[in-house]
Amino acid sequence: MSKAIAFIKGNLFVIVIAVAYLGLSSISPSIGGLGVKSSLYYIKEMLMIMPVIFVLTALLDTWVSKETITKFLGKEAKAKGVMFSFLLGSISAGPIYAAFPICTMLHKKGVPIRNIVIILSSWAVVKIPMLLNEAKFLGFKFMIARWVLTVLAITIFATITDKLVKNRDLPQFTSVKNSGVSINRESCMGCTICTKTYPKMFSMESKKAILNQQDEVDMTLLKSAIKACPVMAIEFR
Amino acid sequence: MDIFTIATWLMTGGLLAFSMFKDKEKTKEALKKALFMGKGMALSIFSVIFAIGLILALLPPNQIADLISTQNVFVATIAAAAFGTITLIPAFIAFPLIGTLANAGVGVMPAVAFLTTLTMVGVVTFPLEKKAFGTKFAITRNALSFIFAIIIAGIMGVII
Repeated sequence: MSKAIAFIKGNLFVIVIAVAYLGLSSISPSIGGLGVKSSLYYIKEMLMIMPVIFVLTALLDTWVSKETITKFLGKEAKAKGVMFSFLLGSISAGPIYAAFPICTMLHKKGVPIRNIVIILSSWAVVKIPMLLNEAKFLGFKFMIARWVLTVLAITIFATITDKLVKNRDLPQFTSVKNSGVSINRESCMGCTICTKTYPKMFSMESKKAILNQQDEVDMTLLKSAIKACPVMAIEFR
Repeated sequence: MDIFTIATWLMTGGLLAFSMFKDKEKTKEALKKALFMGKGMALSIFSVIFAIGLILALLPPNQIADLISTQNVFVATIAAAAFGTITLIPAFIAFPLIGTLANAGVGVMPAVAFLTTLTMVGVVTFPLEKKAFGTKFAITRNALSFIFAIIIAGIMGVII
């Protein structure tokens, strides 16, 4: 029973969409069909970029050290970091969600929230093929003016976001220093199984699992905790 | 495929070959990690895509643009920004639409607001963003993007 509830909780969005399609198609099959048809375009767009993004993220994660990344994109990089963030976002390919795995990896390697917001936002808006299209349809002056304003706006609100959102608000932050264990707090539903399996490592805080700071990790216990977690919220890398 | 997508494929291919050459075991680990990441996101991405399809079917962009362009400039700007947030339209549909908005007589403000929120704010991609960065981050980034989209539209309305 509790597994069924966990499944519904973890896949609420999927279930809502499926029900919406079923309901709509039974009222008006043509609208349902149209929805599926326009979805196919996005599936094609997604398949063109997402597989390669995952491989690229994993490879960069493996080969590029934390020091190298923070040198270019870290807090100490200051204005240079901001510039590189814009550059990275602008030369990217694919829709905004393609930036999520890359940015999650970068944040884990110590890139501050300000630069993460810049990468994400410029990934979405400051696209070179898009700018060319914009100049064609709306004129060159329009494109340049909007581009300059957008870059300024992104810099400002990235700084505001950095002030409002702290590292601990992000799900990947709950990792024991250098041990490679992390808990996805968004998926954790507070079942306490991990705290029972490995009490030294996990404890509960405001109905979510948190990690305790420690020097050694017992891999056997950790692995069984990862396996036991019903929503697969514990990660080890 | 645009040139940036092709470049991403080529770069990843090159990096993969280099990685294979340097350390086979590490490469295998990395590929496993990539597969794991893909599995973790696949279901959410598909539901986001089908949500976009549903929204486009229920609110045809042409009709919305026609409706918006008959309002006064402030209502039109807010409405265009709001419409931009709920959907994610490919550029080849978006730009002719924006052209319609810009030439409709309400000025450039609604067009700019639409164009900016269209790409930067995502209500449908919100579940994915929340999963990756947490609720607080996703809400803050999207809300600020929306506010700044309106500000950018206002300034553009004055200077263009």
